[in-house]
Amino acid sequence: MKYESNDNGNGESNLSTTLRSIRLGTGGAGGSGRGVGGSLQPSAFRIHNFAFILLFAMLLAAPGGCSNDPYPSPGGKKVIYAALGEDPHGLDPAQIGDTLSGAVAAQIYDALYEYHYLKRNPYELKPALAAAMPSVSEDRLTYTIPIKRGVYFQDDPCFKGGKGREVTAEDFVYSIKRLADVANKPRGWWLLEGKVVGLDEFHQRSVDLLKEEERMDYESPVEGLKALDRYTLQIRLKEPYPQLKYVLAMTYTAATPREAVDKYKDEFQNHPVGTGPFRLAEWSKRWRLILERNPTYRDEYYPAEGAPGDREAGLLDAAGKKLPMVDEVYYTIMYEAQPAWLYFKQGYRDVSGISKDNFQEAITPNKELTGEFERMGVKLIKQVESDVYYVGFNMRDPVVGASKKLRQAMSLAFDTPWRIEHFMNGRGVSAQGPVPPGIFGYDPAYKNPYKGPDLEKARRLLAEAGYPGGIGEDGKRLEINYDIGSAGPGAVQRARAFQNEMDEIGIKVNVKTNTWAEFLRKTDKGALQVFRLGWVLDYPDPQNFLQLFYGANKAPGPNNTLYDNPEYNALYEKMKSMEDNPERLRIIRKMVGILVEDAVWIPGTHSVSYILKHQWVRNFKPHGITGGYLKYRDVDVELRRRLRRQWNRPNYTALGGILVAFIAAPIFLTFLGKRIGRRA
Amino acid sequence: MTAYIIRRALYTIPLVIGVCLITFLLFEVLYSPELRARRELGRHADKKQIQEIIEREGWDKPLFFNRQAPGFAKVRDTRFADHMTRLLTFHFGRSEKTHEDIGRKIRRGMVPSLTLTVPIFALGLVVSICLSLAVAFFRGTYLDLWVVVICVAFMSVSVLVYILGGQFLLAQHLKLFPIYGYARGINSAKFLLLPVLIALLKGLGGDVRFYRTIFLEQINQDYVRTARAKGLAEHVILLKHVLKNSMIPILTRTVLAIPFLFMGSLLLERFFGIPGLGNMTIEAVESADFKVLSAMVYIGALLFAAGNLATDISYTLVDPRIRFR
Repeated sequence: MKYESNDNGNGESNLSTTLRSIRLGTGGAGGSGRGVGGSLQPSAFRIHNFAFILLFAMLLAAPGGCSNDPYPSPGGKKVIYAALGEDPHGLDPAQIGDTLSGAVAAQIYDALYEYHYLKRNPYELKPALAAAMPSVSEDRLTYTIPIKRGVYFQDDPCFKGGKGREVTAEDFVYSIKRLADVANKPRGWWLLEGKVVGLDEFHQRSVDLLKEEERMDYESPVEGLKALDRYTLQIRLKEPYPQLKYVLAMTYTAATPREAVDKYKDEFQNHPVGTGPFRLAEWSKRWRLILERNPTYRDEYYPAEGAPGDREAGLLDAAGKKLPMVDEVYYTIMYEAQPAWLYFKQGYRDVSGISKDNFQEAITPNKELTGEFERMGVKLIKQVESDVYYVGFNMRDPVVGASKKLRQAMSLAFDTPWRIEHFMNGRGVSAQGPVPPGIFGYDPAYKNPYKGPDLEKARRLLAEAGYPGGIGEDGKRLEINYDIGSAGPGAVQRARAFQNEMDEIGIKVNVKTNTWAEFLRKTDKGALQVFRLGWVLDYPDPQNFLQLFYGANKAPGPNNTLYDNPEYNALYEKMKSMEDNPERLRIIRKMVGILVEDAVWIPGTHSVSYILKHQWVRNFKPHGITGGYLKYRDVDVELRRRLRRQWNRPNYTALGGILVAFIAAPIFLTFLGKRIGRRA
Repeated sequence: MTAYIIRRALYTIPLVIGVCLITFLLFEVLYSPELRARRELGRHADKKQIQEIIEREGWDKPLFFNRQAPGFAKVRDTRFADHMTRLLTFHFGRSEKTHEDIGRKIRRGMVPSLTLTVPIFALGLVVSICLSLAVAFFRGTYLDLWVVVICVAFMSVSVLVYILGGQFLLAQHLKLFPIYGYARGINSAKFLLLPVLIALLKGLGGDVRFYRTIFLEQINQDYVRTARAKGLAEHVILLKHVLKNSMIPILTRTVLAIPFLFMGSLLLERFFGIPGLGNMTIEAVESADFKVLSAMVYIGALLFAAGNLATDISYTLVDPRIRFR
């Protein structure tokens, strides 16, 4: 999906994804209210003295009953405490298009497949509700998927007797049809559009019915979508689509019970009914969202193998344990970054991102933890994200589109390392091409020959392009319009930097700020000349990034640069339906080489997230793709309780001091004023 | 009196329509149907889908006057008419961002808002009247001077400073309260303590100065001189005569505020994580949730009108000389 800026990439947006942290245990309730009055003899006091003591006792008792612990007592439950930057936009699997809502829904709903929690490079899929990976026919058009037996939906009044029903292949047929029905406002339809036999007709019918204000008939068959028997799903495709397996791992295609949709109708989005490790216990908007262990969750166990280094990091200690590891996930909705940060520092949140404002507090210039956080036992985890931010050229533009050398020159004047240091607090990797780390086809050794800064070479190429010193044949200075999809200070600062860099080689840049919507409209029309954008993966396949240059995807499709190169197109068509193998790798490298030589983009950065984790969090490994990973996470409740108590002792002495100073100051000033007055 | 109330109620109609018209124009003009559709459908929406949703929601209708439609439908079949119908019948529809029923969203948000605003209002009223009576009693002394100086100091600093400072000092460093959050029932006390304290300090300055001025004005009246001449004690004069005669300005200030207690507090709720209507309004502003915002503005206008009416009625209760006409 398109992203305007990575301003948040390392900061607040972590609230949404990685801040799905944990926390637990009540702190010092009942701790300090003792010790008053034992040796006092009330008879010795007059009444107002007694009242004074009573007041004093109440003040002392207050810390006992009133600590700064924001949570209700968890009893004996193991709770993960986390924060969300806003309420999820509803929990209907077909409608969820943002990572925040997706991360919550993925704890409640299961799809056919899911990502292995620990394995990386590449990400690996494994069966979730499917019994095995799909068996694909010779022509790669028919997928046959066995469904696990004995998996039940969570208990819910929508089922007969309130008991969860067994999941069957029909549930997936239904869920995928829901994704094609426009009445559901599905956000994931684009993933299946034009792919499954008969599904587009189903979609079109739903469009027509909607105009007549009728509901879709889900009994009507779709040729390419069938339950062969109770436990076998068959999907038939119009063209090879190896990315289908990733689609079947997204919440969009999660098993959704028809009973719940029919019963709750418009309220279904607030009343999720899934098969996942957790179920929704409470959702008070703008306050909290609580997930509790689903007692009828299927038998799932912690993985026994992982990526290199996981064993040493203790990530395999829990191997073979039954999931989920905790009883409850308690999300607090926190719109503001500051309280969320303080929650983490007080131990009331288990995992946190670092916003730009707090960066220096937590991270030294050497990119290590500061002493304060070291002493708290916090661990810093750095995670390279699968995204890419870039400057794009409109390849149809008579100026920048026409001259490869001009684009190469601009690329060479672009200073990525400076940007990473100044705009991202060092949390970035210089991008050499469109394919980010962690994705098949990424080559860590590859160096883009046009990545700057190399002003000398840039000036030379600019002269060769016909603009020596930035002056064109008509004797005028070259002027370029640079559009950004935001008017926020971060985006404008970046644009100014771009302006300065191009000024170095003699090109004048006019920065145009747009609202995000305006910007999208301009990209759709191909009305931009040079622009800044980002792309965050939808699924871990290089095709998701390389499609951005495919001729047939030209805007309003995802190809915003309007690049259309027959050689590239032919390679893309071949590559997109291939399985990952050395041949595919070779083609991908060739494609990246073409793009780099044509300088369609100035590749900017891949983000690196810095994640902080308290020492009581176990089995935590950030994953680049949204999914239901909280079932693996564990917390050491006893350790957390102890540290929280230690970190949150109320300081009444200081409070007393402040109050005394507050009352004393006017008295002192009055006194002073009187003396001065007397002297005069 | 009934006639008066009816007439006043009728006065509110142009007010409410005017307010709705302004919000309608602001959003319909600035926020095109296409953008709203895009938000409904997400990033991958194609042109066809966008067109569908625009037609379904009626966002392609003319704003005020439908030339194509026959007869009365020329006015009725427009976006403004749809908008007003939604508001007047209190069927606000569903939030554009979260698809929640707005009526229910508002009803649910009222409780946390009231748990915050009612203590602020009640404590604020009692403390500021007591304080200003005391100040009026000790007028011209150092106590008077310092109370007023401190009140003005409190009043002159932005509430954001109190919020951040309070969170930093009292919650983060002294660890007396939770920084952020909410709880139901009696447990909410520890979350509300700091925001209530801040609102009190912030509000005290204006109130104390205002009431003090009123009391001092009354103290210089002839009837007070007469009372003094009669030999009444100063505190009796203040409590029995001055306070009573000051009721009208006090009521103007307080009764008007009562309806707005339901709307909550924008900043305090936001920064302290109280899930009330103020918080909801800010959320709607941020996400440009037009339906929620127009509902809140409409309710605000109605409450304002109700507050005005209630103020007028309360005058007759405290001052029998005032009659409805």
